Amino acid sequence: MKTAMTKLFRIRELPVFLALVIVVLITGTANPEFFTLSGFQDITLGVAVVATLAVAQTLVIVMKHIDLSVGSTIGFSAYLIGDASSQGHGFWYCMGLALALGLAVGAANGFMVAYLQLPSLVVTLGTLYIVRGIFNEVAGGNTITEDMVPGPINFIGLNTFFGIPYLFIVAVVLMLIVGFIMKRIRSARDLYAIGSNLLAAELGGIPVARRVFLAFLATGAVSGLAGAVLLARFNTAAANSGNGLELSVVAACVVGGVAIAGGVGTVYGAVIGAILLQAITMALGALGIPQFWQLAVNGTLLIAAISLDRYLSTRVKPTSIMGAK
Amino acid sequence: MKKKYTFGWDQGVAIFLLMTVVIGSFVSEYFANFDNISFVIQDIAEIAIIALAMTYLIIAGEIDLSVASILCLSSATLGFLFRNGAPFEMAILGGLLVGLLCGLINGFLVTVVGLPSLAVTIGTLALFRGLCYALLGNEPVNELPEEWIVLGYENIPGTFLPWSTIPLAILAAIAWIVLHYTRIGRWTFAIGINPEAAKFSGIPVARMKLGLFAVTGLMSGVAGVVYTLRFASASPDGAVGYELSVIAAVLFGGVAIAGGVGTLWGVLAAVLSLGAIRSVLQLIDFSANALLVVSGALLLISVVVPKAIEIYQSRRNSAFVTKI
Repeated sequence: MKTAMTKLFRIRELPVFLALVIVVLITGTANPEFFTLSGFQDITLGVAVVATLAVAQTLVIVMKHIDLSVGSTIGFSAYLIGDASSQGHGFWYCMGLALALGLAVGAANGFMVAYLQLPSLVVTLGTLYIVRGIFNEVAGGNTITEDMVPGPINFIGLNTFFGIPYLFIVAVVLMLIVGFIMKRIRSARDLYAIGSNLLAAELGGIPVARRVFLAFLATGAVSGLAGAVLLARFNTAAANSGNGLELSVVAACVVGGVAIAGGVGTVYGAVIGAILLQAITMALGALGIPQFWQLAVNGTLLIAAISLDRYLSTRVKPTSIMGAK
Repeated sequence: MKKKYTFGWDQGVAIFLLMTVVIGSFVSEYFANFDNISFVIQDIAEIAIIALAMTYLIIAGEIDLSVASILCLSSATLGFLFRNGAPFEMAILGGLLVGLLCGLINGFLVTVVGLPSLAVTIGTLALFRGLCYALLGNEPVNELPEEWIVLGYENIPGTFLPWSTIPLAILAAIAWIVLHYTRIGRWTFAIGINPEAAKFSGIPVARMKLGLFAVTGLMSGVAGVVYTLRFASASPDGAVGYELSVIAAVLFGGVAIAGGVGTLWGVLAAVLSLGAIRSVLQLIDFSANALLVVSGALLLISVVVPKAIEIYQSRRNSAFVTKI
């Protein structure tokens, strides 16, 4: 019994999950509309984009790296899908285009970080700019409108499966797949080893460069495909699509217990973190607090989450910008 | 023994700046004229002022992503105070104090609570920006006193330099002297190279870092005031994304993201280069998007080239060793 209790308290996702329950309960009591089906759909639909990207970002953050280019990639990909579709190309052609873009950005990031051993913060900041610049040049002042969105994407954006939005199901399925891989497949477990002690991972015979490269490639691929999710969610795309999304994604991961110092955290935590941030946004609205406070509350929550994590864990003091060595 | 001359990254940036200016003067007759120079300086003033402080912070091995939000919060505070009847001088003072306070909050969370600065400042980025909206709502403050906003767009009488040159020049001079010729500067480098060793050699590491975050906040506050005067308006959505421009400029200026390396004049040359490139691209009617690509490419070059040189040199050295 005691071991079961201690095991339960060791779960990193527990605090953020409890926080989510508390937020939902308080808001629901104050405003019963929050508990209705449409309240549920608002949250799950709203969270789909950030949750999808947070799953991909987890792969990178557990390695003690970061990928800031995802916001540019997803926006560009959403635009490309709509643009290709409006020129009469089929759904799979559009998705292939999105995947190709994601793989290209991921490969560029991965090559520079893994094989040239450059800091991921700088590299992905650079690719954030470059992809955004090319995107803006391609898009110009054009806007993808609803009639240009491919049929299947339009469908999953608007419809629900027994009340659950399809977009949320997409995010959850992705989470389950990646969660399984990171738990069971050895090459994915290696990412945790790389994040917690790079030198030990190298000495232990892990092909670090190849793993880092593949993780960035996977993050890029998911971000590219997620363009479909972004397009489905908003039914529109323009030159500013996905702007600044990278910070929300990193925030969701960190709130969900994926430590920026690397080596810990799961995709489940990242998704719960994303849902918590979204639920709080909705709760502020439901409680009648002006939405102007929303961003400030999100920021405070992020700081509170990492402070709590710091307090609960007995790790060494951070010595670098990415946290503990 | 004669000191071996080594060619540094910062000299490279300075040459790059000169080349940009020379090429710029050739491709457009408007580039080197006084109006344009004044415009370029105005355009980079805020980024340059924040970059001065960010240089210290990155050399010390930390980072601050919340600077653009602090800039905006300082501007929003100024606008809020003025709208509610405070004299303009007091409103400016309020804006600067808020900047300092924001920097202290970042510094407190990093040094006292012990959190990684990257995560903390992503949080405060959202927090401070959120407070801008909480203060001003969606209504920017536009009715600022005329005698102050002329400072935002007019030149210093008798010269071709905008008024923002004065704070920029004074602060740059102070930052340069302190970084390269005083104990505080040497401490900053020591902390960045090895914080443990710095601590054991008696450097007050935590207090230094707290101070550096506070100064970065204050500088962002100063930039906020300059920004408000330049646009004659305080709005909650100003300067979004400036933090990335500042960091790009600092890294392109030769400061290593891992800490411990960098010079202040390299950073200044980098900021001026970015301003000059932006101006050249605008004058030859290149789209503004090219600037994004150029900024990103320069950022990547600033890490790829030193790495390539390092790999080349280590190969040459090891080849030499095997020959013996």
